[in-house]
Amino acid sequence: MYLEVKDMKKSYGEGGSYIQVLKGITTGVEKGEMCVIEGTSGSGKSTFLNCIGGLDLLDFGSIKVDGKEIVGMKPDKLSDYRRENLGFIFQFYNLIPNLTVKENIQVCEYLSKSPLDMDELLETLGLTEHKNKFPSQLSGGQQQRCAIARALIKNPKLLLCDEPTGALDSKTSRDILALLEKVNEKYGTTMLIVTHNNSIKNMVHKVIRIKDGQISKEYHNEVRVPAMELEDL
Amino acid sequence: MQKVLRKRIVRDLKENFVRYLALGAVIVLCMYIIISLIGTADTIIIGSEKTAVRNQLEDGQFTLFMPLTNVEKDKLCESGITLEEQFYLDYEMEDESTVRVFKNRKQINLVELVEGRAPESDSEIVLERRYADEHALQPGNVIKIGGKDYEVVGIGCSPDYEAPYKDFSDSSVNSLQFGTAFVTVEAYEELLKEGKSVKAEEYVYAYHLNGKLTHKELKDKLNDLKVDAEEIEDAYFQEYWKEQTEDKNELEEGIEKLKDGSTELYDALNDLADIQTGIVPFDEGIANVKDGAGELADGIEELQNETDKFLEEHFDLEISNLTLFLEAEDNPRIGAAAEDQMINKYGGIIAGAIVLVLFAYVISVFVVYGIEKENSTIGALYALGVKRNELILHYLCLPVAVTLIAGVIGSLIGFGSIGESTITGNCYAYFSIPQMETIYEEYLLVYGVVLPPVLSAVVNFLVIRKKLNKPALQMLRNEQKNGNMSQIKLEKMGFIATFRIRQMLREARTSLTVVGGMFISLLILMLGLNCYVMCEHISKSNKADTKFEYLYTYKYPEETVPEGGYEAFSKSTKKENQGYNLEVTILGITKENPFFDVELTDSKNEVVISSAMAEKFEISEGEVLVVEDEEAETHYAFTVKDIAQYSTSFYVFMDIDHMREMFGESDTYYNQVFADRKLDIESGRLYAITTKKDIEKAADVFINEMTPMITMMTIFPILIFVVVMYLMMKVMIDRCAFHISMVKVFGYRPREIKKLYLNGNFYVIAIGAAICIPLAKKCMDIMYPMMVANVGCAMKLAFPWQMYAIIYAAVLLLYFIINEILLGRLKRVNLAEALKNRE
Repeated sequence: MYLEVKDMKKSYGEGGSYIQVLKGITTGVEKGEMCVIEGTSGSGKSTFLNCIGGLDLLDFGSIKVDGKEIVGMKPDKLSDYRRENLGFIFQFYNLIPNLTVKENIQVCEYLSKSPLDMDELLETLGLTEHKNKFPSQLSGGQQQRCAIARALIKNPKLLLCDEPTGALDSKTSRDILALLEKVNEKYGTTMLIVTHNNSIKNMVHKVIRIKDGQISKEYHNEVRVPAMELEDL
Repeated sequence: MQKVLRKRIVRDLKENFVRYLALGAVIVLCMYIIISLIGTADTIIIGSEKTAVRNQLEDGQFTLFMPLTNVEKDKLCESGITLEEQFYLDYEMEDESTVRVFKNRKQINLVELVEGRAPESDSEIVLERRYADEHALQPGNVIKIGGKDYEVVGIGCSPDYEAPYKDFSDSSVNSLQFGTAFVTVEAYEELLKEGKSVKAEEYVYAYHLNGKLTHKELKDKLNDLKVDAEEIEDAYFQEYWKEQTEDKNELEEGIEKLKDGSTELYDALNDLADIQTGIVPFDEGIANVKDGAGELADGIEELQNETDKFLEEHFDLEISNLTLFLEAEDNPRIGAAAEDQMINKYGGIIAGAIVLVLFAYVISVFVVYGIEKENSTIGALYALGVKRNELILHYLCLPVAVTLIAGVIGSLIGFGSIGESTITGNCYAYFSIPQMETIYEEYLLVYGVVLPPVLSAVVNFLVIRKKLNKPALQMLRNEQKNGNMSQIKLEKMGFIATFRIRQMLREARTSLTVVGGMFISLLILMLGLNCYVMCEHISKSNKADTKFEYLYTYKYPEETVPEGGYEAFSKSTKKENQGYNLEVTILGITKENPFFDVELTDSKNEVVISSAMAEKFEISEGEVLVVEDEEAETHYAFTVKDIAQYSTSFYVFMDIDHMREMFGESDTYYNQVFADRKLDIESGRLYAITTKKDIEKAADVFINEMTPMITMMTIFPILIFVVVMYLMMKVMIDRCAFHISMVKVFGYRPREIKKLYLNGNFYVIAIGAAICIPLAKKCMDIMYPMMVANVGCAMKLAFPWQMYAIIYAAVLLLYFIINEILLGRLKRVNLAEALKNRE
């Protein structure tokens, strides 16, 4: 198991505003798998992702990535963990507005000792002709592709995607998902995709449904639908 | 609407309390210093005017060879003016300082007692305040003057010695070395009788014109007052006068003898003619000789008469009694404190406004950051019908409130006893002025309380209006326009360099504010350093350049130069410098004079000037120098052939023979003697003795007096720079908090983030400092001489290159310290920031 989560518990607030977001989640994802975390708004799926990304601290439980326990790591070690293992894709791309496409990608290239080839990645993501443009000069899809390139350049073992198509129209969403699929096949990157879009679950290997801070359903797709054939995106 | 928004102001203040507190604290400090400075200046300027009126300050003074006779005095007073004798005697004290003793005044330049009472008996004395302070003398103490003990019964100040310069040519006050004292008329007469003063009594009269005469008319009247040299009782004068009139006397005596001889011859021949020998040819011959002798006697008498007429015409036995005529406004001892404060006042007003504009702009950077954060909300409010002016008003509230509160607190402290006493303290410690009642001018209240919020409102209004002047939709979408500069291509550069340049371009406004703050801070620092360098230069150079041990200035020179001395002919003239008339001395010296490194020229029109003069008046070789002889109402023009290193005085050096010829003096005339040891010269012959020790002590006065001001001018700009740089770099972090958080998510460590987001500022600071340091120095080198235009001293402001290097290193050091402090801030940027939904 590449990612192992045991009895993950997380709460926020105190007294009257106390809320337990994760109530003891135990699950796992194999290396190279694409996994969708689905659930309604407030179900705890983003918190689950943030905890795995070392962005939020658990109250209780254990998270092992590639056999390494990340719970209890000091901030510096957590930085190293993210640096060496993770790639992030956000719903609103979060590109740095005063950097060009290429420069935005270089932000993460700088962190890796053995980054992927920039030109090849730009080519793969269809960004070659836009590499010197600034985010404000790009469409939403192009911006998200840039964000994916930024996440992939350091060749992460685990890609965490928080609503990667949440801000995109259906055609662009399909393109982006196809791209993620292609990346998964090409680089063997393990992916955790948080989404509330029901269609996406059909293209991945594994689906984890979270409801009220607990896993309500967890299964592997026996048949995966290619991203380009997904409907109702 | 405003009522609801107002609640946000308090929240915003709470949220950014430390930021506004730091900024407010610096404004408080700034206003405190400025208000103290200007308030003190007003107190001294207005106080001096009141003191002048209260103590009947003279309109002017004049010095005579001989005291006025009662008839002359009455004649002058008939024209409606008031005169009062202010004769004085100088005494050397046990500590080698000089005390100038006057009779207590009754009409003009009255002594204002700050302690004790006026002298009533012959053994009582009032001392000038600064001298008493420096010598720890108080009423009840006893001092010895001219061998007699006097009880100090009072401490006071006289308005004619507000700057107690011993000589008019002194460039600094040194109360350790010189002070004035006042005794009863009887005590003064006794001192005069004892004859123990270091030089002859000076016959100085102070006058009030009372609107009846002009200065010029009085001067003309005084010039008409002739004194018969024969009447002057001073033995040294008579000796001097005898030397001057030797040729005339010899001629008169010769003719007198000739006349006597011819008369005797005639008388003898007359007697001989009376004896008739009977020898006709002999008797006839004698008669003829007698007639001839008679004619000779007549002729000689005629010759004597004509000679007397000629001598009367060309050798005037009467000389002008006037030796010095000085209007109060040209007297460097009078009004010096107010003049000094005038510079502080205007300098303070301008400096305060500049610093306030800087801080208003710093606040505007925060406000702009706030607006950028709230773009979408503002867009929504626009969409809901809120007007731009309402929002402008809202965003102006906090900057105006902060500056208003800071201005009020700063002004209160400035107006308070802590503020003014600090700076007036410096003034009281230099000038001999009585304690003055603190004056609160209304405009200063406006300056301290109204100006900060007004400037803040204006600056912020201009900035905020531009920022809010966008369509609602653009704001709703939070569309950030990248300026043309941010979109420049940087393809060939490495990632880190590219990132830093982009970051610098993005933060150009903030960076410029830092550079602006740096420039203003450097200007203030340069003012302090120029002051320090000038004082240091005066201290060192005056000591190094003074090679003589004694300088004797004669009232009545001896016929021959005393052995071991080198004669010189000095003539005081004036030269105008930015509205101030400064004393310049034309000094005729011999080629053998070892005390000045001067190569004298062979031409009367070409001179060598001292380095002090070249620096102060900015005169170079080859230029024409014009000086004015006010007494003779004549101007002299010379070509500057060379500049000699001599920083102590404004000297125009020329060959003594040329100078004697130019000013119509005899071939042996001199009025000063320089020597490397003490010479045996009778005190009655002298105007003044200046020793190397005097000059050395005076040289240190400036630096001692200015040290507190220099310290303040070093600390204050550092504080401004640190606060501006810290707040601006912090705002850079705050503005980039989201992206910083995001790169943290990617795995960047704080030091790497610092490298990306803050270290680029190093280049801004490094390049900014490289430009600002010499620029600020250049600006201050232009401004500073104007600020001290009235100070008669050398003006060498050049720094050694090490000083620039130290300032540069200090700027970078401050940057590195702040950069390290901000590392903590970077560490505190929350990872959750990146997870917030943003559109």
